[in-house]
Amino acid sequence: MTLAIAVAVLAAVGTYLIVRGGAVRLILGFILLGHAANLIIIAAGGTFRREAPLVDGGVVLETMADPLPQAFVLTAIVITFGVTVYLLSLVARTAKRSARNAGEGGAHD
Amino acid sequence: MVEDTVRAEAQKQCERKLTPRKGWLTHMLVASLALIGLTTAVVPLVVRYLGRYTGYPLAVIFLVAAGLLLTQAPEVMRGETVVQSWQWVAAFDVQFTLRLNGLSLLFAMLVLGVGALVLSYAPQYLDPHYEVRRLYTVLTLFAAAMLGIVLAGDLVLLLVFWEITSVSSFLLVAGAGTAGARPAIRALVVTGFGGLALFGAVVLLAVKTQTTDIATVFALAPERLSVTDLSIVAALIILAAFTKSAQLPFHFWLPGAMVAVTPVSAYLHAATLVKAGIYLLLLMSPLFLDFPAWNITLLVFGLATALFGAFEALRQRDLKALLAYSTVSQLGTMVALVGVGTSAALAAAALLVVAHALFKATLFMLVGIVDREAGSRDLDELSGLWRVMPITAGLTGLAAMSMAGVPPLVGFVAKEEAFYSFLDVPQSSWAQGQQWAGIAAAVIAVLGASLTFAYSARIFAGAFFGPLKQRNLYEPSWLFLAPAVVPAVAGLVLGIAPGLLNSIIDRTTVDVGFTMVGSDLSLWHGVSIALGLSAIAISLGLLLHFRRRWVIRWLGEEPPVASGPLIFDRIWFALVRTGSWVGRSAHSASVGVHLFGVGVLIVALTILGFAIIPGATDGLAPVIPDSMQLVDVAILALLVPTVAFLARARTTITALVLAGFVGLILSVWLLLLGAPDVALTLLLVEFLTVVVAAPVLARLPRHRDVGRPTMAAVAAVVVGVSSGLAVWAFTGRRGPSELSAYFLTEAEELTGGTNVVNTILVDFRGLDTLGEITVLFAAALGLLAATAVGVRARKDAVTEVLGRGEQTVLRVGARIVIPLLLIATVVLFWRGHDEPGGGFIAGLTAGSAVAVAMIAGIRIALPSSGAMLAAGLGTALVSALIGPLTGGAVLAPVKVDVPIVGSLTSSLIFDLGVLLIVVGLVRVALERLDGMHIDAGNDTDDGNDTDDGNDLEWDGQDRSSAVDVTEARS
Amino acid sequence: MTDVSFLTTWALPAVFGVPLFAAVATFILGARWASRLIGLLVPIVVFVIAVLLIVATADGSVVVAQIAGWPGGVSIAFVGDLFSALMLAATSVMVFTCLVFAYSAGLGMDRWFIPSVSIMTAGVYGAFVTGDLFNLFVMVEVALLPSYVLMSRSGVLTALRSARLYLIVNLTASTLFLAGLGVVYGVTGTVNLAALAGLGIFPVVGIAVGVIMMAMMLKAALVPTHSWLPATYPYTSPAVTALFSGLLTKIGAYAIVRIISIVYEPGQLITVIVIAVCVASMIVGVLGALGEGTIRGGLTFQMVSGMGYILVGVVLAGAVGMAAVVFYLIHHMIVMTSLFLTGGSVEHEERTGVVGRLGGLAKAHPIAAFAFFLSAASLVGLPPFSGFWAKLGVLTAAVDAGSALVVVVVLLVSVGTLMSMLKLGTGVFWGLPKGAREDEDTPSDVTVVADTTAGRAGATGTAIDIAAAVEAPPMTRWRPFLVFPGLALALLSLGIGIFPEWLLDLTQTAGESLNDTAGYVTAVLGGGS
Repeated sequence: MTLAIAVAVLAAVGTYLIVRGGAVRLILGFILLGHAANLIIIAAGGTFRREAPLVDGGVVLETMADPLPQAFVLTAIVITFGVTVYLLSLVARTAKRSARNAGEGGAHD
Repeated sequence: MVEDTVRAEAQKQCERKLTPRKGWLTHMLVASLALIGLTTAVVPLVVRYLGRYTGYPLAVIFLVAAGLLLTQAPEVMRGETVVQSWQWVAAFDVQFTLRLNGLSLLFAMLVLGVGALVLSYAPQYLDPHYEVRRLYTVLTLFAAAMLGIVLAGDLVLLLVFWEITSVSSFLLVAGAGTAGARPAIRALVVTGFGGLALFGAVVLLAVKTQTTDIATVFALAPERLSVTDLSIVAALIILAAFTKSAQLPFHFWLPGAMVAVTPVSAYLHAATLVKAGIYLLLLMSPLFLDFPAWNITLLVFGLATALFGAFEALRQRDLKALLAYSTVSQLGTMVALVGVGTSAALAAAALLVVAHALFKATLFMLVGIVDREAGSRDLDELSGLWRVMPITAGLTGLAAMSMAGVPPLVGFVAKEEAFYSFLDVPQSSWAQGQQWAGIAAAVIAVLGASLTFAYSARIFAGAFFGPLKQRNLYEPSWLFLAPAVVPAVAGLVLGIAPGLLNSIIDRTTVDVGFTMVGSDLSLWHGVSIALGLSAIAISLGLLLHFRRRWVIRWLGEEPPVASGPLIFDRIWFALVRTGSWVGRSAHSASVGVHLFGVGVLIVALTILGFAIIPGATDGLAPVIPDSMQLVDVAILALLVPTVAFLARARTTITALVLAGFVGLILSVWLLLLGAPDVALTLLLVEFLTVVVAAPVLARLPRHRDVGRPTMAAVAAVVVGVSSGLAVWAFTGRRGPSELSAYFLTEAEELTGGTNVVNTILVDFRGLDTLGEITVLFAAALGLLAATAVGVRARKDAVTEVLGRGEQTVLRVGARIVIPLLLIATVVLFWRGHDEPGGGFIAGLTAGSAVAVAMIAGIRIALPSSGAMLAAGLGTALVSALIGPLTGGAVLAPVKVDVPIVGSLTSSLIFDLGVLLIVVGLVRVALERLDGMHIDAGNDTDDGNDTDDGNDLEWDGQDRSSAVDVTEARS
Repeated sequence: MTDVSFLTTWALPAVFGVPLFAAVATFILGARWASRLIGLLVPIVVFVIAVLLIVATADGSVVVAQIAGWPGGVSIAFVGDLFSALMLAATSVMVFTCLVFAYSAGLGMDRWFIPSVSIMTAGVYGAFVTGDLFNLFVMVEVALLPSYVLMSRSGVLTALRSARLYLIVNLTASTLFLAGLGVVYGVTGTVNLAALAGLGIFPVVGIAVGVIMMAMMLKAALVPTHSWLPATYPYTSPAVTALFSGLLTKIGAYAIVRIISIVYEPGQLITVIVIAVCVASMIVGVLGALGEGTIRGGLTFQMVSGMGYILVGVVLAGAVGMAAVVFYLIHHMIVMTSLFLTGGSVEHEERTGVVGRLGGLAKAHPIAAFAFFLSAASLVGLPPFSGFWAKLGVLTAAVDAGSALVVVVVLLVSVGTLMSMLKLGTGVFWGLPKGAREDEDTPSDVTVVADTTAGRAGATGTAIDIAAAVEAPPMTRWRPFLVFPGLALALLSLGIGIFPEWLLDLTQTAGESLNDTAGYVTAVLGGGS
C-alpha cells in the first residue's frame, strides 16, 4: 500500500514535470519516473520479506527478500543512468544550438 | 468429404471439355503468350537499332502469336476448351492456367490483330524524335497482359494481368509528359480502384470455393456462395468492369486519356483495354444466370452511358474527344446487352465488340493521319479535305458508316442484332414478360443509334466536305494508310457476309453459359421491327445532324466535359487537406502532444482492468499481511513532501538538490526492504547523476514552459492513479515465486557466491548485465561523438561556484576521500560475489572517486576513457566465451581453484569488464559534459560533427588525459 | 530434430555477440577501411546463421540456447524458431544494403557510425531471439542508445530537436516496459515468455502484460501513439532513416506478434482491440501520407499504415492470419527500406526532400525513378510484386475470419496508398524540374490541367515536344551505390512476387508454429542445452 502511494506520487510528479516541458524538468521527470518503475519491480517481489538475500548465514526462505527483482532493478538503474547521461548531452547541445540560433535571430520551432 | 466430391466432379466437368494433349500442338497457348512476353524484354534493344520502325517487326510477331493460337481454333470450334495448367503458388492453390475457348479466342484475335495493325501504323505516325523506347516496350507489355487476361483460366492469374494492363495504360498516358500527368493519375486511380474491387471479388470467391480455377469456381459457386456473397461478388465485379470500361460514373478517365499518342488511343482506349471490362462481364455472367439485380444494373447503367456518351460526342469539336465519347457510348451499349442476358443479346454483344474494334480502330488511325497531315483535329478548322485526300476520306466514310449502322457494313448488322435483343428483354428469364421494359430499352437504343449516326455523319461531313481551307495538303503515303485500310475493308466484308462470324459467336454464347442460338447473322432479315427501328434511327440521325445547332442549344454550348476530372480532383484535394489535418500532430514540437496517445492508452487499460473485464479485480488474492510496516509510513512521510516541493521548485539547483534527496530517501528505503546492493547502487548513481548534471543544467537558459500546467496536472493525475492502482492490484498478493526460492537455495552451491543478487547478475543472468554494459558503452560512445573536451571549462566551473578558501578545503577533503574510495572500490569488487558489492558498485565507487577528484581539480593519471571502455567490453565479451571453449554454454561461469586465493570463477573476469566500463562512462561523462555550457564561444561541435571526437585516439591519451598526466607529475 | 549443438552453443548466441565484438573492434580501429569491411561482414555472418537456423527450423521445430546453461526457465533462453530466423535473415539483408548506401553517402567516414550501427543491430538481433521479457527490455535498450547517437549525429538543430523527441518517446516506452515487467512479475513470478504461455486467460495477467503491450505499441508507432514517428524519422540522414525503418519499429511489431501469440488466447476482447488499433493505423497512416509534403514524411506515415496491415492478421483466422503477418512483415521491411533508400538517394543528390521543390527528376535519376516505381507498386499491392501476395494473404485471412470491416478498409486504404505514392512519385520524378514548377497541390493549377487535357484532349503531338523540351534537366553527379541498394531491394520484392512459393511456405510454417506455441514452450522449459 505504501509502495503504491509512493509509486503514484513519484509517477504523477514525474509526468507533471515532463509534460510541463523544459530541459531541467524533463530530465528530473524521467529520473522520478525511473524511481517509480523501480519501486514497482521491488514491490513485485513482495515486501513482506525484508531480509537481504545474503545466504552465507544459511537460507531462510520465509524472511529473505526476492533477489530476482533486485537484480532487475539494479540493471534498470544503471541503464537509466546511461540514458540520462546521454539525454543530458543532447539537451545541452539543443539548448546551445537554439541559443546560438536565437542570437542570430534564426530561432524556429 | 462432400466438398471434395463436388470439386472432383467439377474437375471432371472441365476434364471432359479438355482436349487430349497431342504433342507440340498443346503448348500453343503458353507459346503465344510467352512470345509476346519475351518480346517485351528485347524491345528496348531493338529500338536502339530500328528506332520508331520497331513497330513493323513487332506487328509481325503479333501476327505469329495470333497464328499460334489459331492452330487451336479447330478444337475450339468443335466446342472444346484447350487448357494448359502449371502449379504456381500452392500456398494459395493458384495455378498458372491458360485456357482457350470461343470467348477468349474472339478477344485474343482482337488483341493481337488490332495490335498488329496499330503497331504497323505507329512508325509512320510518330515524329522522329519521340521517345519510342518506352512506347513500344509498354505497348508490348500491355499486349501480353491483355492476352493474359483473355487466356487466364485462374482468377488470381486474371487479376495479375488485369492490374498490369492498368499500370501499362498509366505509363502510356503518362508518356504525354506534363500534360499527361493528371489524366494518367486519374486513369490509374479509377482503374486501380476497380482492380482492388476485383481483388476483393477474387478473394471472396477463392475463400468460399477453396479454389481459384475459374471452371471449378463456376461449378462450385452455386452451392458454396450464399445470396449475400453472390451479391457482394456481383457488386465488386460490376465496379471493376465499370471502371475499366468507362461506364457512368467512372467514364471521365477515358476522354482524359486521349492526351496519349494516337496509336495508344486506337489500341488501348478504343479496341482492347476498355473491352477488358466487357470481357470480365461476359466471363462472369454464368455466375449470375438467375440473379436479376445483375441484369437490371447492367442494363440501366449501360443504356444511360450509351445515351450520355452519344450526346457528349455530338458536342465535341476535337475529333479524338468525339471518338472517346463515342467509345464510352458504344461500351454502354455492350454492357446493356450483357445485361439483357439472353443468348441472342450476348451474341449481339460479342458481334458489337468485333464491329466496334474494327471501325473505331480505323477511325482513330485516320484521325491521326488527318492530325499529322492537316495539323489539326478541330472540326471547326478542318474542312474540305475530300478534295486533297480522297482515299483517307473514303476510308473514313466507310468506318463512319459502320459506326453509324448503315448497311452494308458490319456495324449495321450488330445494331440490328442489338435492337432484336432489346426488344426481347421481356422474354428474358429475369424480366418476367414486362413488355414496357423491352419497349423502353428499344426506344433508348434507337435514340442512341440516331445520335451515333449524327456524330458519325458529322465526322465525315465536318472534316471532308465544304470548302478547302488549308493549302498544300496531300494524300499520305500508302504505308501510312494501309493499316487503316484493312479493318475498314474487313468491316465491309463482314457486313456483306456476316455469316463468317456465326460459329465463333455461337461458341462465345455457349462459353458464357447459354444454349447455342445457332445464330445466322445476315445483312438482310427481310422487313422486320429491327429494320424499321434502323430506318427510324437513321432518319432521326439525319435530322439531328442537320439540326445539330438545336441539339447543342438544348444541351448548352459549353460542354461540362471537365466536370468528371474536377470532381475527382476535388475529392483528391479534400483528402490531401484531411491528410495534413490528420498529420498535423507530427509537426508539433510539444512532448505532450506526442505522448498524448500514451495517456489515452493508460486510461483505456485502467478502465479495462478495473471496470470492464469481469473478475479482473474482484478475483484478486488478498494482500499478504505485514507487506506494509510502520517504517514505510515514516519513509512516505519524508518522500511525499520532498517530491511535492520538487514539482514546485523554481531554480535548477533546488530541483537538483531535492532530486538527490529523493534518491537518498529511496535508497534508505531499499536498504530497509532488504536490497542493500540496489540501495548502494542507487545512492552512487544519484550522486554521480547530480555531479554530472549540475554543471550542464546549471548553465541552461531558463526554459519557457511548453506544456500548459492544467494539461500537465491532468496527465499527472492519470498516470499517478493508474500506476498506484497497478501496484496495489498486481503486487504483494502472492507468496515467494519459485524462481526466488530456486535462487536463494541453489545460488551458493551452484556459483559459490553467497550474495544472491550478484550471482544473478553475473552468473545466472549475465546476459542482461552484458547488454547493460553495452548500453553504457554506447552512451559513452555517444558522448565521445557528440561533445567537446572541456577540461578548461571544468576549472571555470569550480572557480565560478566556490571561493578560494572553500576550494582549498575541498582539495584537502578530496585528498582524504579519494584513497578511501579507491580502497573501497577494490574491497567491494573483490567481495562482490559474497557480500554487497560487485562490478557495478565498485565501478560506481571508483567513478565517484574520479568525480571528487575532478570537482576538486585534482588530477589522477589514468589510461584514456576510450581505452577503458574498449578494454571493459572486450574483457566481458571474451570472458563470455570461456564457457563454450570449456564445453559449456556461453556466459556460463567456470570455477578454477587457485592455491592461495581459493576458488575463483570466470564471472570475476566478467565483473572486471563491468567495472572498467562503468568507470569509463563516468569519466567520459565528467570530462565531456562540462564542456557543454551554453555561453561557450569555443564549442568544437559545430555543423555536423563529423571530425570532432576524432582527436580521441583510443591507444594514446586523449587531450584531457594528457593534460591530467602533466599536471599530476608537477 | 537434426543435431543443433553448433547452433545452440555458438551460432544462436553469436547473433548478439558477433556484432558486439565488431563494435569493439571498429571502435578501436576508428574510421579505417578495415572498420567499414567489418561493418559489412557482420550482417553477412548473421545472415549465414539465419539461413542455418531457417534450415534447422523449416520443419517447425524450435532451437533453444539456454544462455549460461542453467535449466530452462531459470536461464535466459535464446529461442530460434522459424519466425525469429526469418526476421534475422530479413534484418541482416536490410542492414547490409543500408550500410552500402551509408558508405557511399559518406557516413563510413564517421568513426562513430559503424560501432553505433553494430551495437544497434546487436540489440535488434538479440530482441528477435530472446525468450525472456526482461532480457527483451535490455536488448531494446541496447538497440536504442546507439540509435539516439545515430539520430543526433548531425549537429543541425532540427536533427537535435527530433533526436531529443525521439529519445523522450523511447524513454517513455522503456519506463512503461519496465513498469509492465514489474506488474507481470508481481502477478506471475516470472518474466520468461514460455512460462507465461496461455496465462492471458487470467484477466490479471492479461492486463499486466497489456502494460508491456502499450510500450510496444508506442515503439511500433501504432495509432494512437504514432505521431512521434513522422516527427522524428524524416529529420536525420537518409541512411539512418532507412536503417531505422527496417529495424527499430519492427522490434515493436515483432514483440507484439510474439507476445500475443504466446500469452493471449484468441478471444473476443483481444480481437476487437487489435482490429480497432490496426484499422485506425491503416487509415490515419494513409491519410497522413497523403497530407505530407516531403518524401520521407510521406513514407514514415506509410510505415504507420503498414503497421496496421502487418498486425491485423494476428487475430484473424489463426495460422492463416499469422502466416499473413509474417509474410507482410518481411515484405514491408524490404519495400519500406527500398523506398527510403531510393528517396534518400534523390534527397542526398538534390539536397532537399520537399516534394514541392523537386520535380522532373526522372531524367536525372532514371534508376532511382525506376526503383521507386517498382517499390511503390509493391507497396500498393500490385502484382507481380511481393506486396500483392502480402495483401492477398491479409485479405484471405480477413475473409476467412469473416471480418468485413478489415476487408473493406484494407481495399480502400490501398487506394489511398496508391494515391499517396502517385503524389510522391509524380511530384518528384515528373513534371517540370524544380524552380520552373509551381506547387503541384494548388487546385487552380489542376483545374487548368483538367480543362486542357480532359476537355479538349490537348494537342498531343506538340505536347510531347514541349514536355520533352522542358523535362530535360541538368544532369547531376551520380554515385551508383547510392541507388543500387534501393534498386536491389525493389528487385528482391519483384523476385518474391514472381516466385513467392518458397517464402509463402516458410511463412506458413512460421504462422502455424506461432498459432500453436506448444513446441516453443516445451523447447524452452523442457529442453536445455
